[in-house]
Amino acid sequence: MAAEKSTVLIYSTPTCVYCKMAKKFFAENGVEYKEFNVADDYEKAVEMIKKSGQQGVPVIDIGGKIIVGFDKNAIKEALGLN
Amino acid sequence: MEEYDFIIIGAGSAGLPAAVYAARFRLKTLVIGEVVGGTIINTHIVENWPGVVSATGWDLMETLKKHVDANNVPVLDEKVLSVERKGPLNFIVKTSDKSFKAKTVLFATGTERKKLNVPGEKEFENKGVSYCAVCDGALFKNKEVAVIGGSDSAAKEALFLAEHASKVYIIHRGDKIRPEPINGERVKNNKKIELMLKKNVKEIFGDKMVKGVKFVEGGELKVEGVFVEIGANPNSGLAAKLGVKLNEKNEIIIDHESKTNIEGIFAAGDVADRHFKQAITGAAEGVIAAFSAYECINKNCAMEQQ
Repeated sequence: MAAEKSTVLIYSTPTCVYCKMAKKFFAENGVEYKEFNVADDYEKAVEMIKKSGQQGVPVIDIGGKIIVGFDKNAIKEALGLN
Repeated sequence: MEEYDFIIIGAGSAGLPAAVYAARFRLKTLVIGEVVGGTIINTHIVENWPGVVSATGWDLMETLKKHVDANNVPVLDEKVLSVERKGPLNFIVKTSDKSFKAKTVLFATGTERKKLNVPGEKEFENKGVSYCAVCDGALFKNKEVAVIGGSDSAAKEALFLAEHASKVYIIHRGDKIRPEPINGERVKNNKKIELMLKKNVKEIFGDKMVKGVKFVEGGELKVEGVFVEIGANPNSGLAAKLGVKLNEKNEIIIDHESKTNIEGIFAAGDVADRHFKQAITGAAEGVIAAFSAYECINKNCAMEQQ
């Protein structure tokens, strides 16, 4: 594992199941992440919309690469998993 | 090629219960489903699964998945691309990178949400237009939103959204909505929810984000969120290709034993032709399909004459 670890951010809401799936996927693959609850955190909600140009959750930021929704293949690719 | 007695396509409230029973019948079973848990995971609160007073759809299906795991049935989260019949009780099920042989197959493939197909819908998807109130509803705190549809699901979405939004309009083309009576009462008693009946949306408009909807009947409504809940189409395409008979709504026709017109092929849940579609009825159909598969492999397979 020579690759540098990217910072992983997830913008989520408490009831969003695709957010839960994404977090489960991170946990299963030993990926550390920082989570922002955009239902309560207005500033982070604005940041999420700015980054992704839309307001669906989850938005996942992997070292600057923005992924909308729980797109497992895109996440794997961005993390260099496989 | 891996060989199974019973392959279940779909990992929702019909497919997972079928897996539990199939394991107990000692059928070698595999579940392949795109979304483990199925569509009910997007239901905020489920209050009509007997034995569970109230749970989120997600938690309920996590429990069911654990039940499947406890019976050592593998669940693959993949998309099935084709099902072919090679001969009597001999089917090939293919995913993007694997093929499996199966004596019997259950289609528990559920449904896909219908779109409105009006201008602005695609353009503003996730920019105010959503198909999942549970996912995105919290982002509409103190905003005005609309739910389009008149079903029980539409009423439940409106009730969930009313926990966050300042105002929720239910826009429906008919002259009344048709929720479960208990949810109808809740809608009626919720001061934030207002019905707009006999209205057809012709356009969703906005700039960067949604600003409102326009009606065929004239006039417009300013809202920042539009939640589309106008029903669903059965995922019966793969079954149809195999020669499975569908009804006029493209639902798979099944008998009392969850059998289709093809020996060894079964269907259960929202994809099947039952009028009253509930998680619990789908579960029952799935369980019956598992028993039918067991009998089919050990005795005979013919569909009952109707």
